Amino acid sequence: MAVAARGDRAAAMTQLVLFNLFNGLIIGAFYALMALGLSLILNLSGVINFAHGGFLAIGAYLAFAMMPYTGFWWALLLAPVLTAVIGLIVERVLIRRLYGRDPLYSLLLTFGLAFIFEDGLRYIWGPSTVPFATPDWLSASLSGQFFFLTGYRLFMVVLVVVAVVALFVILNRTRLGIRIRAGTLDLETVSVLGVNVRILRNLNFGLGAFLAGLAGVLAAGMLGLQPTIGSTLIMPSFVAIIIGGLGSLPGTLLGGLLIGAASGVVTVFFPSASEAVIYVMMGLVLLVRPRGLLGEEGRF
Amino acid sequence: MSLLSVQNVTRRFGSLVAVDNVSMTVEPGELRAVIGPNGAGKTTFFNLISGFLRPTSGRIVFDGEDITDLLPARRVWRGIARTFQITEVFPELTVRENLRIAVEVAAGYRLRPWISRARSTEVDIRVDELVGLGGLGAVRDRLVGELSHGDQRANEIMMALALKPRLLLLDEPTAGMGDQETYEITQLIRRLHRDQRLTIVLIEHDMRVIFHLADRIMVLAEGAVLAEGTPAEIGADEAVQAAYLGQAA
Amino acid sequence: MGVSGKRAADVAVWVLLLTMPYWLNWVGGYTALGSRVLVLALAAMSLNFLLGFTGVLSFGHAAYFGLGVYGVGLTIKYLVPNTLIGMAVGVLVGGAAAVVIGALIVRLRGVYFAMVTIAFGQVFYFIAFRWNVVTGGDDGLSGWRRVPIDLGFTTIDILGNDKAFYYLAFICFAGAIAIMAALLRSPFGRTLLAIRENERRARFLGIPVEFHIWLSWVISCVFVSLAGTLYALLNNFADPHDLRWDQSGDFVIMAVLGGMRSFWGPLIGAAIFVVLQDYVSSETQNWMSFIGLFFVLVVLFFPRGVLGLMQRRTAA
Repeated sequence: MAVAARGDRAAAMTQLVLFNLFNGLIIGAFYALMALGLSLILNLSGVINFAHGGFLAIGAYLAFAMMPYTGFWWALLLAPVLTAVIGLIVERVLIRRLYGRDPLYSLLLTFGLAFIFEDGLRYIWGPSTVPFATPDWLSASLSGQFFFLTGYRLFMVVLVVVAVVALFVILNRTRLGIRIRAGTLDLETVSVLGVNVRILRNLNFGLGAFLAGLAGVLAAGMLGLQPTIGSTLIMPSFVAIIIGGLGSLPGTLLGGLLIGAASGVVTVFFPSASEAVIYVMMGLVLLVRPRGLLGEEGRF
Repeated sequence: MSLLSVQNVTRRFGSLVAVDNVSMTVEPGELRAVIGPNGAGKTTFFNLISGFLRPTSGRIVFDGEDITDLLPARRVWRGIARTFQITEVFPELTVRENLRIAVEVAAGYRLRPWISRARSTEVDIRVDELVGLGGLGAVRDRLVGELSHGDQRANEIMMALALKPRLLLLDEPTAGMGDQETYEITQLIRRLHRDQRLTIVLIEHDMRVIFHLADRIMVLAEGAVLAEGTPAEIGADEAVQAAYLGQAA
Repeated sequence: MGVSGKRAADVAVWVLLLTMPYWLNWVGGYTALGSRVLVLALAAMSLNFLLGFTGVLSFGHAAYFGLGVYGVGLTIKYLVPNTLIGMAVGVLVGGAAAVVIGALIVRLRGVYFAMVTIAFGQVFYFIAFRWNVVTGGDDGLSGWRRVPIDLGFTTIDILGNDKAFYYLAFICFAGAIAIMAALLRSPFGRTLLAIRENERRARFLGIPVEFHIWLSWVISCVFVSLAGTLYALLNNFADPHDLRWDQSGDFVIMAVLGGMRSFWGPLIGAAIFVVLQDYVSSETQNWMSFIGLFFVLVVLFFPRGVLGLMQRRTAA
């Protein structure tokens, strides 16, 4: 009898760990999505876009505002596009002036923008959580045994996978993408070859903002929407990039998944430490391999 | 015993071989020139000697000591100083401040949180010596970033000299200079070589400078040694001419 | 500005600071505001030791500020109700963290370094926030106050007497500033300038760059922790917000606003910022937008800062 009970417990524990691991991977995929946008901008232009969380929130709120008129699916498509447009404008008007200068200034600028975005959103939509409606059929659970596997979560994973694949296709198959990658390695040579670096940076920033906006719509569906949604989510993106390695998009993807998975697993044993574990991982990576898991040497 | 002995040094970057099995021996007091077409690997060669890069294979021996794995700062302490192709100085500090830092570091004061008046005066005297030697008297209190190309270069060379090096590596000291400045820098280098009895290795493109100064010349092409000899020998060497003419064509 | 001009300015600043409690009321301020300016100026100037003089961007200094804040608060509340001991604990904890973290990150550069400092800053914020049994969490650590200093022959009532506290802060400020100024004028300080100006050249002069950056980092963080202890004592309260990235950003903007390249710059930046923040937050709910806008404007139009602007004028 005791043996059977122990066996049961082991099975239950395993299932719990798997459950949380999967859950964590879903969240990790989401972190990765956000971090990829941040990474794109960082790699090409050397700008730490502190306002990335702000773009995320803008995407979410735009979707929220649109939904009564367009429904969820159109909002999902249009909100990131609009966010990208805002990103293009911000880059053109503000950030572009700072490229030649010390990275300190672009960091301060995006920092200030983060404040303006968050407060602006609070001003327009109020400080409390607003109801972000996702289609009903998505919220339903898909399986009795794996009750955590709601349609929405699965949908999120699918969407992130699609977005990431699309991103890698863009970067490897389109002219724009190839130029971005080349520019990340050597902007001077790229400009000498006749590419308009200004437009390249601009579009790249827009692409990053698009990803942030998309992440925002998804996050709002999962976590609920309030003005601080951006600033709460931006830190894991930083950590994902640091762990994955500066200058490496696959690294960022890996970093996001790792921190999601790690915090998922840790939740089983030490629920309060689940957030802390991502910082512990960061410390370990810095200790053992400062350039990050897939980072390139001499990148910084 | 030779001062510097570079033994079969190779440096690869992936599949690119930038420096290919190069050996060089420099005797104390020599002025050696390293020449070659663009992309021949000359600066990479210097980077290997000064410690900026590690060789993929080979050894570097300085004054009997194997320094192949030594960090750049430590090679400086051993007595190797260098200048760079693009002048590396402290632009928002004055000439005297630039030199002062070099002198203090050379004197071992780099960690001192305080310096006595007596020592400070010693430093000042040495700084003024270097200012004079480098012909920088007129601009000593001006920001280095605002100086002419030639003066910046002289400043850089003087900073290297402040370190009391036994080996001085000069990477294209007259790059981008007009005739007058080239002449002045050449004279400066000659003074350093003769009066200070410095061992100097020099990368140069300007043939007038080379033939004026060098005791021996080493020619690099595509990372490997093409020829070695006195200026007269090199001037007559057909392979060298081909390498250069090939470039020009 | 000639040497004698600089010295006169230095003297003027010290006199102004020394007498601030006495003239501040005339211009519409109050002593506690003066203390606040002094404490934040110390933080900003300490950051600037690293930022403006060594050329290293840290956007996570609030972590060490916060360690000072919580160090003194927790000590007084739970261990020993003694102000000086509390301050010592705060500084030691901040310093220890700086030593360890500095060693981890000192090989990094530029944006990467900045990112990592931000992340580490977040670690401590997170600890203060989560460990609410000990730290009081989001509500902050209250229920303690600064303890009058008992020197045996007399007691300095820094609790009841605002002026007394101001002078405690002033003594700490003066000591820290004097040390930093002396260091910057020394051979060691000049190696830091060298690293700022041209790291490669510094390395090729034989300066062990990573070690010197680590030293500068530790010095900077220790004095920021000191400022943190004073800040907590000023408010009789430890606020997790003191550890957030926006606090780090505030320190940086103070340094930039006043002028990163000048010694007193951050003091001026802190004064302006504190007064501005005080005014704006009392006038409007949307003070966050204004602060954000302020950041943007300073970066776009005022990057050399107030003193930077003045230097250019005297040169012309």
